[in-house]
Amino acid sequence: MSLFRRIGPLLLLLASAAPSRAAELLVFAATSMKPALDEIVALPEAKTIAEIKTSYGASSALARQIDAGAPADVFISADLEWMDWLQQRDHVATATRFVLVRNELVLVAPAASKLELTLDAKTDLRGALGDSRIALAEPGSVPAGKYAKAAFGKLGLWPQVESRYVATENVRAALALAARGEAPLAAVYRSDAVSEPGVRVVAAFPADSHPPIVYPAAALKDHDSAATKQWLALLQGPQARAILQRWGFRDAASD
Amino acid sequence: MLSAAESTALAISLKVALLSIVVALPFALALGLALSRLRFPGKSVLEALLNLPLVLPPVVTGYALLIVFGRNGVIGAWLSTLGIQFAFHWSGAVVAAVIMSFPLLVISIRAGFDGVDRRLEAAAESLGAGPWRRFFSITLPLSRRSVLAGCVLAFARAFGEFGATISFVGSIPGETRTLSIAIWELLNQPGGEAGLGRLVWVALLVGIAASLFAALLGRRSQANGAAHD
Repeated sequence: MSLFRRIGPLLLLLASAAPSRAAELLVFAATSMKPALDEIVALPEAKTIAEIKTSYGASSALARQIDAGAPADVFISADLEWMDWLQQRDHVATATRFVLVRNELVLVAPAASKLELTLDAKTDLRGALGDSRIALAEPGSVPAGKYAKAAFGKLGLWPQVESRYVATENVRAALALAARGEAPLAAVYRSDAVSEPGVRVVAAFPADSHPPIVYPAAALKDHDSAATKQWLALLQGPQARAILQRWGFRDAASD
Repeated sequence: MLSAAESTALAISLKVALLSIVVALPFALALGLALSRLRFPGKSVLEALLNLPLVLPPVVTGYALLIVFGRNGVIGAWLSTLGIQFAFHWSGAVVAAVIMSFPLLVISIRAGFDGVDRRLEAAAESLGAGPWRRFFSITLPLSRRSVLAGCVLAFARAFGEFGATISFVGSIPGETRTLSIAIWELLNQPGGEAGLGRLVWVALLVGIAASLFAALLGRRSQANGAAHD
């Protein structure tokens, strides 16, 4: 009896904590989504759905965490490859999967740079680089780098770039090198260029020079609750669209 | 066996880690001695600064290195007029490794110097030994095991270094792509597991070899020490 009196309040506390946990959503999203997604999460409409928590990281790291049992409800990947990888491993509620946004690949220079160039087979990148290097996200593994390598390859410019790039851990680090003037050029997403006043867009890569840059989103298997679906619907609604566009993303439906 | 790219990454890692100890050791010995034997204003501030690389996230240290030693950095701009450039060059990876492993080296060395019986140094002085002779014939030999332990710790830290290196010098194949960076890249590729396993084994073998080497040296110096005592 006295034991119950002692731990009774604790049990009550645990019981009252349980329902609020049910109305909590954990969203795993690619780091490049952060500024836009933070705004969407802060919308009053989002708050009525559930308490939405976000965990940002590289799509690869997030996918491996989900595969290892991380309790995420929604995954927003910066490329198709890792969403497909999770889907093959049966972690995705396939019916809920859709393309949230597209992004564009652009070439940026430090804001103070006077450099002008157009991207085609005749572009003199070596001349533009001088004795320095172009900053790319790691072209073997990081999505932005893979797109950049494909685009330079399609344009016939990869031989000029191959021995003259510096690979970074993620696309934001490549952006920072250009913003600090350490690299005279960097290949980054339009959405990154929008959020960094230290750089200016020199040229956009032709859309057909690389695989389409799409951000798939989906509920994870056995996490497709009503709240999850409401949140996915909100992401596709007009308010979220406006926010995403303001941060440099393009509509999934375009082209 | 390892592919050409993989053995290049291993070679870069070994070169960077070994060279970083060669570069850091004289400074660490001097600083360890100063911290152990001298009292001076700002000593605790200096110790706190020294430990910063242990406390800060490595990517922050790497970014700070870029700000200081980058081509537009405070010191980097001046160095580049002399033709020295660290950013995006393998020597920059050595700089990152030195900074990251320096606190471990100094802490070990200082502890060794603290443990030396000061009366032995005083006796040597009374017999006419100058400061250099006292250091090399009394203080250093008596603290050799701490110095060695510091070197092994520093080597391990430098060999495994990732965050500061990739922030400061990026990943350039054949230049700054170390074993740690190659491992991280494989982790980011779907299906990279096979190569990943190989490189992790290599890293493990290097780590074990370094520990065994240190144990062997430690045992031998203990035997020599016993003969002298």
